[in-house]
Amino acid sequence: MSRLDKFFAGFSFRGSTPDYEPGDVIEVMVTGAEGGEAVARIGDSTLRIEDAPSGAVNTRVLVAVDSWDEAAHRGTGTYRETVGESAF
Amino acid sequence: MTETEDGDPSATDGGEPPDGSEFGVGDGMDDQDDAPRIDFYGGKWASTIPLAFFICWAIFQSGVLGIGDTNGLVIGALIGTILGMFFVRGDWKAYADTIFEGMTQRVAATAIVAWLWAGMFAETLQVGGFVEGLIFAADALNVGATTFPAAAFVLCGLLATGIGTGYGATVAFVTLFFPAGVLIGANPVLLFAAILSGAVFGDNLAPVSDTTIVSAVTQDADIGGVVASRFKYAIAAAIPAFIAYLIAGSAMAGVSLEGSAALRDTATAAGLVHLLSMGIVIVTAVAGRHIVEAISWGIVVAVAFNLIFGLSSVSDILAFTVTEDGTFTALPFVVVGDAAGVGGSLYAGAIGFFPLIVLTLLIVSMAQIMIRGGGFAAIQEFLLNVVATNVRRAELTMVLGTATINGMITINTAAEIAIAPYIARIGEKFNINGYRRANILDANTSALGYIFPWAGGVLVGYQVMVGPEGLGAEYGPEMVVNPIDVVPYVFHGWFLVIVFLLAAITGFGREYIPDRTSEEVSRA
Repeated sequence: MSRLDKFFAGFSFRGSTPDYEPGDVIEVMVTGAEGGEAVARIGDSTLRIEDAPSGAVNTRVLVAVDSWDEAAHRGTGTYRETVGESAF
Repeated sequence: MTETEDGDPSATDGGEPPDGSEFGVGDGMDDQDDAPRIDFYGGKWASTIPLAFFICWAIFQSGVLGIGDTNGLVIGALIGTILGMFFVRGDWKAYADTIFEGMTQRVAATAIVAWLWAGMFAETLQVGGFVEGLIFAADALNVGATTFPAAAFVLCGLLATGIGTGYGATVAFVTLFFPAGVLIGANPVLLFAAILSGAVFGDNLAPVSDTTIVSAVTQDADIGGVVASRFKYAIAAAIPAFIAYLIAGSAMAGVSLEGSAALRDTATAAGLVHLLSMGIVIVTAVAGRHIVEAISWGIVVAVAFNLIFGLSSVSDILAFTVTEDGTFTALPFVVVGDAAGVGGSLYAGAIGFFPLIVLTLLIVSMAQIMIRGGGFAAIQEFLLNVVATNVRRAELTMVLGTATINGMITINTAAEIAIAPYIARIGEKFNINGYRRANILDANTSALGYIFPWAGGVLVGYQVMVGPEGLGAEYGPEMVVNPIDVVPYVFHGWFLVIVFLLAAITGFGREYIPDRTSEEVSRA
């Protein structure tokens, strides 16, 4: 990202339910679990993460999005790798 | 509620009540770490006693008594920490160990390093006549009584952005700029408020500001990126504030005082070269260089300018004071004085942060005790399950939470450190980006520290006006502003709070973690 881009990043009105496309690879914070599977809540959207390691909650992981329902703002993805942890 | 694979309870919406156990050390993911490690008489809520006692102390000291002394808060934190120990069940060793565990966190160390560098840089700009340069600019622009408050806002904002300390900028401007403005007919209440607004602007935006540093490092974001990302909010509040000062400057009458404006007495154009010193720090930090590197370059350039342009002597920057003349007194940084010691801007700038550093170590220790005792998780569970139930409410909770604690603890960096873990965790539970979290955290911290009569920023300015050698004694009672009168006129502070309330409601500036990754903390 260029220096100028850093100043204008986020210069928009962002909704509360971001949507993603199948094939997107995104970095998310794992925020909880649902039915034994890791879940990332992104705003008010929800991404279920398959194959996440146990104890993934509060870690930042790379996820490949497999499917996404734009009406329900819910999707599923596959765990790729752990890239970080919570700030605290 | 469902069960996770390892049997931990968690919410079905991905909003698992966090335990806060990874506060700094360890991965915090195993069962043992999830359980409270310190048992308290009175349960997990008793683990909040040290921090709760400290907050009460801070409110009483700064809010009720109006004493803006960071060393006083250090004593409050120490007593609170001792008090909490008496509520521990069984062996007190775990409690004592947790104090060390808290103090050795990277978040505290990163902030401390950045503060030491920022302090040296800021003080070197001060001795290099930066304030006098800004006064020269006001004089050259022929600023009149009605435009004086607006000019004070801009110039004090510039100074505070350069030196990173709103308190320092307030003292400098109230000492030098305020009497000049009042003497030429500017309204004193409005002028004081405009100076405070400038301090808010700089405290919020400067990469070398203590609050900026804390906001970035506690939210896992790099300082340069944070400064760039908060520019939009700062400008959105500053432009209407500037216009408001122009309008109010015309509408509000000045006081009648005998005397002449003393602007030209202190003005020197050469001090303006430090706009370049300041620019170097901002540009290198935004370019992604480590903040230590960015400020080091700023220090090198500022020292060079001071010496090349004769803005200060070597001994103004670094001085070894000895009591008797000798071989080494021929050196420019060895001087003879009444008492032996070390001095100069590098020395004074660094040690100026020592009380805040000690306080920070104690606050993060108290927070760690709360985490190991289960109190942190209990408060956070309440916030996430009852208050912050969707992303908009989460952001509003973050905005109002920081505003409330900064309204109470008016030494704003201390308040910011206390609330930072909650902002991180609430924001992360909705995948809100670290830059956005840092901006929410710092805006209210900066703004509320300069609005209310008990705020540290207001008090340091007021202190210059009162007392046996204050402005009131020198010029008359018209030169003393009642702190309560300035509350409605700290326009930039109020507008910054409003901008963030609107941003939380409308989603302006909102970024999620998948949008872009904060650069590494090592590049803080």
